[in-house]
Amino acid sequence: MPTTSTREPVASPLESFTDQILADRAGDGDMRAFEVLVRRYGPLMRVYASRVLGSNDEMDDVVQESFITAWQQLPTLENGAAVKSWLMRIVSRKSVDRVRARRQHVNIDLTDAPAPAQHSPHRLAEAGSQTEALTRVLADLPEDQRRCWMLRELAECSYGEIAEELEIPVSTVRGLLARARKTLLQEMEEWR
Amino acid sequence: MTSSDALAGHTFEELSDYLDRDRTPADPSIDGSPECQTALSGMQRLRRTHRDLLLKDVQLEAEREDSWVTSILQHISLEARAGRDIPISHPSPTARVSVTEGAVRGILRAAGDSVPNIIVGRCRLDGDVTAPGAPVTVRVDATVLQGEIIASLADQLRDALYAALRQHTELAVESVDITIRDLYQIPVPAGESEQ
Repeated sequence: MPTTSTREPVASPLESFTDQILADRAGDGDMRAFEVLVRRYGPLMRVYASRVLGSNDEMDDVVQESFITAWQQLPTLENGAAVKSWLMRIVSRKSVDRVRARRQHVNIDLTDAPAPAQHSPHRLAEAGSQTEALTRVLADLPEDQRRCWMLRELAECSYGEIAEELEIPVSTVRGLLARARKTLLQEMEEWR
Repeated sequence: MTSSDALAGHTFEELSDYLDRDRTPADPSIDGSPECQTALSGMQRLRRTHRDLLLKDVQLEAEREDSWVTSILQHISLEARAGRDIPISHPSPTARVSVTEGAVRGILRAAGDSVPNIIVGRCRLDGDVTAPGAPVTVRVDATVLQGEIIASLADQLRDALYAALRQHTELAVESVDITIRDLYQIPVPAGESEQ
């Protein structure tokens, strides 16, 4: 495919189309509709990936892979109106895969991501930004809690969607979310 | 805060779930308990803080130069959507000309976009499009601007689609079925005064 043809500016009406129409058209091969979806949800997906990865290093790769997968699978998406949570689930999966691959690469014995040595609430309060602090607290959560919480709070997935994505019962989702919130709440009280 | 006694007999999990249900249906035993209210407002504060940070970060990402968008679009291929080859006759017996199903869908979308106040969504070509002269049914989903007369817009759209198909293909179109899936409203452009 020649690459230059994709660089036409997005016509303004398309930008106002609903997710359903954009997803349907992109599924049919409308690249401009796809571009609008990329612009609409790409930034949130980038933030999501960077939070899971703990850095921006591999964010571009992960988000790009996610959109390529999305483009390939869009024709199979039945409810175009749900394209946002569908995209977020893809980026969630790709980000987690990347972290796992990285971990295996480093050392199989280091079971969890190496936590920074200086990790007291006091340090968190001094962290460059609240986002940084939150990212660190999140990094300390058990993986299932963290994924649950992010799918809920960043991706705005329903309990049912989270359960399907993580292949766990809805009741487990409920419990994981509550535990994640409790921990985050306690941490937040300390760096407030 | 760990024991459920301190939460008027409710668990933290129940409160977390209650929050996610937007506090509906209202539970007086939660709404009337100061302990529960404290826990709920904490969770809400956590959510608000997080949403603020998230919005800020997403905004920053949205404002970045968009080489990442270009890069993504360069890596996707229309070939994935080509579909079947639809033959087109040619005076020379040795020439074989065809147009892809994906291209025909593009033609249908473009024709649809020329009709104001109606937006074409999914397009389907039902029938053996690879066999010249075989009957084909075209199925199109569309969305109509709220307040417009649906039947008249559907007619205009059908005419436009027929014309485009006649001009660009030799398909034996038996019917063009249009399904109006939804209505849309004129979007108010953010920060612009033209509307």
